[in-house]
Amino acid sequence: MPLYLIGLGLGDLKDITVRGFELVRESDFVFLEIYTSLLSSVTREEMEKFFQNKIIEADRDLVESNSDEILEKAKNHKVSFLVVGDPFSATTHMDLYLRAKKEGIEVTVVHNSSILTAVGSCGLQLYNFGQTVSIPFFTPTWRPDSFYDKIVANSNLGFHTLCLLDIKVREQSVENLLKGNKIYEPPRFMSINQAIEQLLEIEEYKKTGVCSPDSFAVGLARVGSNSQIIKFAKLSLLKSFDFGKELHSLIIVGKTHPVEDEALEFFKLVDLDEKLDEKLDEKSNENQN
Amino acid sequence: MVKFTIEQIRAMMDKKKNIRNMSVIAHVDHGKSTLTDSLISKAGIIAGEKAGTTRYTDTRQDEQDRCITIKSTAVSLYYEMDKADIPEGTEPGHLINLIDSPGHVDFSSEVTAALRVTDGALVVVDNVEGVCVQTETVLRQALTERIKPVVIVNKVDRAILELQLDSEEMYQNFVRIIESVNVIIATYHDDLLGDVQVYPEKGTVAFGSGLHGWAFTLNKFAKMYASKFGVQPEKFIKRLWGDNFYDPQSKKWNHTGLTANKKPLKRAFCQFIIEPIQQIFQAVMNNQIDKVVQMCTKLGIHLKQEEKELVQKDLLKTVMKKFLPAADALLEMIVLHLPSPVVAQKYRVNNLYTGPMDDECANGIRECNPEGALIMYISKMVPTTDKGRFYAFGRVFSGTIKSGQKVRIMGPNYEPGKKEDLFVKNIQRVVLMMGRYVETLSDCPCGNIAGLVGIDQYLLKSGTISDSETAHNLRVMKFSVSPVVRVAVEAKHPADLPKLVEGLRRLSKSDPCVQCIIEESGEHIIAGAGELHLEICLKDLQEEYCSIPIITSNPVVSFRETVRSESSILCLSKSPNKHNRLFVKAEPLNTELQNEIENGKITPRDEPKSRARYMGENFGWDTTEARKIWCFGPENNGANLLVDLSKGVQYLNEIKDSVISAFQWATKEGVLCEENMRGIRFNIHDVTLHPDSIHRGGGQIIPTARRVFYASQLTAEPTLMEPIYLVEIQGPETCIGGMYTVLTRRRGTVISEEQKHGTPIFLVKAYLPVMESFGFTADLRSHTSGQAFPQSVFDHWNVMTDSPFSENSKVRNIVLETRKRKGLTPEIPPLDRFFDKL
Repeated sequence: MPLYLIGLGLGDLKDITVRGFELVRESDFVFLEIYTSLLSSVTREEMEKFFQNKIIEADRDLVESNSDEILEKAKNHKVSFLVVGDPFSATTHMDLYLRAKKEGIEVTVVHNSSILTAVGSCGLQLYNFGQTVSIPFFTPTWRPDSFYDKIVANSNLGFHTLCLLDIKVREQSVENLLKGNKIYEPPRFMSINQAIEQLLEIEEYKKTGVCSPDSFAVGLARVGSNSQIIKFAKLSLLKSFDFGKELHSLIIVGKTHPVEDEALEFFKLVDLDEKLDEKLDEKSNENQN
Repeated sequence: MVKFTIEQIRAMMDKKKNIRNMSVIAHVDHGKSTLTDSLISKAGIIAGEKAGTTRYTDTRQDEQDRCITIKSTAVSLYYEMDKADIPEGTEPGHLINLIDSPGHVDFSSEVTAALRVTDGALVVVDNVEGVCVQTETVLRQALTERIKPVVIVNKVDRAILELQLDSEEMYQNFVRIIESVNVIIATYHDDLLGDVQVYPEKGTVAFGSGLHGWAFTLNKFAKMYASKFGVQPEKFIKRLWGDNFYDPQSKKWNHTGLTANKKPLKRAFCQFIIEPIQQIFQAVMNNQIDKVVQMCTKLGIHLKQEEKELVQKDLLKTVMKKFLPAADALLEMIVLHLPSPVVAQKYRVNNLYTGPMDDECANGIRECNPEGALIMYISKMVPTTDKGRFYAFGRVFSGTIKSGQKVRIMGPNYEPGKKEDLFVKNIQRVVLMMGRYVETLSDCPCGNIAGLVGIDQYLLKSGTISDSETAHNLRVMKFSVSPVVRVAVEAKHPADLPKLVEGLRRLSKSDPCVQCIIEESGEHIIAGAGELHLEICLKDLQEEYCSIPIITSNPVVSFRETVRSESSILCLSKSPNKHNRLFVKAEPLNTELQNEIENGKITPRDEPKSRARYMGENFGWDTTEARKIWCFGPENNGANLLVDLSKGVQYLNEIKDSVISAFQWATKEGVLCEENMRGIRFNIHDVTLHPDSIHRGGGQIIPTARRVFYASQLTAEPTLMEPIYLVEIQGPETCIGGMYTVLTRRRGTVISEEQKHGTPIFLVKAYLPVMESFGFTADLRSHTSGQAFPQSVFDHWNVMTDSPFSENSKVRNIVLETRKRKGLTPEIPPLDRFFDKL
């Protein structure tokens, strides 16, 4: 019997493709992968109502350590595995795909849009992006900075860098992990503001100038949904802008093409203080005249 | 009849040059508490006549009953020396803070706590038994804390009365004892402390009998004879020891021991000191009362009428105590040869303080400055009469601590600049601890020992008190015993559980060494140094700290998990997301290296390059590999090492912390039965990582690293190490057969058997597995008609030779038993749970 790997897209329940929708409806079991991304403000009840099918939430533990449970069901039943975005973009589910194939299970993949392509909506061309990086939450003892080096490498080649920001839906704290307690931390999502703070912290000691307060960047929130926000500004300005609820992404802008500049100009975040200064200047100029 | 007032003492506390902080240390039953009594009798807290039988510092009922010291006890004494003896430039009157410590090995953590707060030690050695295993242990502890020793050879009366040795034999015996003490001192030589070997002719060795209340140093006799011979006492004292002989006929001194016409001579020590003493003994014991009175008059001793009517030992005591009062000899030795805090803190500061050697605290300690930053070390908790509350007992090293003062209370895990293990609270009261009483003080300047009221709930067992925000901790005490014997306790009535938990908390506070643990299975465990220690702890728990009926399990032993060869395969574990792979092998560490790590010779804080060189030279390590030691474990200081042998792995640094956390976890709970690991080296051979940081966070790496460590342990011939006691058994020759029977039945191996020089007593040394030691003492007594006395001290870990995988092997039985007790799955987990295929 088949396993369907189905992308849900980004913004809304109805973003699912028609083929995907039909496969979900006819499935015996529907798993929803909940730990790498999520559909903003869509509850499980809404989803069950929409698909007229029961939804089983699959956390990291189930997918990574106990995936046999899913595969076992797929041997005798139709099983759907729903992934927000695309099943093979950003976090890939290739491991599940390969294991299913090895077990002789037929696998059907239904693609959908992913953040990796949807960032095109800010006007930067996908051809000009370098390696994608993730920015993890810093802890007092774990403050990795290798993603910063990748941004620098991209920047040296003139590429933009898409930064995916950490989300922790069901994670154990290190203490609980060590003790083997199945106690999970409350869900956390990194905001653009926090990501910028961490980047600036690394910039403090690496001093390459790539992520300085004056570097240009684009902040994107809830891409593909109705409440989507895209803002272009210097890091110092973006840092204090409120993008609202999860999920957020950040692009460090590299060398731009004039067509890209035009688009960015459209999304430009106006610095109110600066605007006030300008107005005052104008006024004083008028007075002088 | 208190001879001093609290005001006098408080005034003395400011004269820091006239303070002596000292502990009395020795092997069990060598007479510490009895000697201490004669010192206290001099300072006058109890009446002079009772000294010798009261054991003033044994404050607990069970201590009195068993005649054994369990807790160390502090007393303050005040002593004024004869004006003539006071070194120039010193004021008269000395304050002596004395701590009497237990001699039984099970309580040596109490000794450690006592040594930390003192600068000098009076080492008591039994004249008949000589230097014993615990003498060596406590002396070693003292020297590593930079405590200066002086020695008293005790129970000299037994040599005269029981063994009836002649004077030369007695001299030779003294020489042997002093030599063995000096050999130990030389082994632990410390440049900063200087030469602290003891010499009778320098006045750092005394001889005497605590029970009879008499003792002397050569000083006393030198003074007595000097005028007679018309020489300076300082010169004469040198003639009283060693190969110096006096020929009364020719009135000449020589070194040969022969007169001009080749007749043998008695050495000066025998002739001038031992023989007069022997004569007094003889006269008294033979009831020659006239002769005694005559001798007394000659020596200037006045006997009262009723004293003349005493006979035998009572008379002997009276005469000897008047002739050579023990307290004078000892107090004089303490004042003249033990350092004051001002002197001692100069060289102790590097050993004590963990912060930079030039900050305000280090300077305060070095100068012993009462105006400096406050630094006090709390070494133990002493129960108050108020149940469940404790005095925090310790030494002020710098500054002055006052009642009501707001201080920073820093536990052992405190790090400067962080808030963990730190409380800022007020001191309710400062008290002076005097044996059975406490006296309130308004404040206490540095160099003194004091107790604090009102901070016990903020400290577990020990810690540092300061008023400086930049203060670092004083070094944590290192105990020579480890809690290897454990019992499980439960309340008889389940409803009493909260009382039991509270009782365990109090028990854990009251003893520096005991551990109270809650196992995963919910069992409450008490771990102690030995059977006696546990027995006392359980009694305290039941009677003092929770007052409820308790059920106690049979004692069980802690084991260590280790490996016997290199892993047979390169072990691989993949992270849950399959993107990160760790390749690791385990191998055994050299035994000597394990010991050096546990004794603190090789530590995680060493400078890596010099440590690598040292390990290369001494243990044949490849120095490049030795430089890549990531950490020690468990608890960051155990005898297991994690070494990075991988080459050119990008981003390895980002997962280092996660791998180290996993290593600490794995070494704390090994794969066989979740006992600590010991003596395993884990080599990381290769690592593959996901290119993105988010996919190699702690959640991915920690469980993976733990699995790979377990896989490497399982493939490297894992086994257990069991703790082994060194037992010393003393008894007459007739008992030896019985000793061997008992030892053999308990898997013991005899390593030596010898007769104590000049005594009919035999000394058998043997190794005995701790596991087999329960009830050993009673068993031995019943097989030797109560004549053999054993003393056991933890000696080493022994690798068990059979495999935990072969049916019915001893190791397997222990492993399965332990798993069952801990509530783990009944079988050792199989390899494929930890090992992933490529």
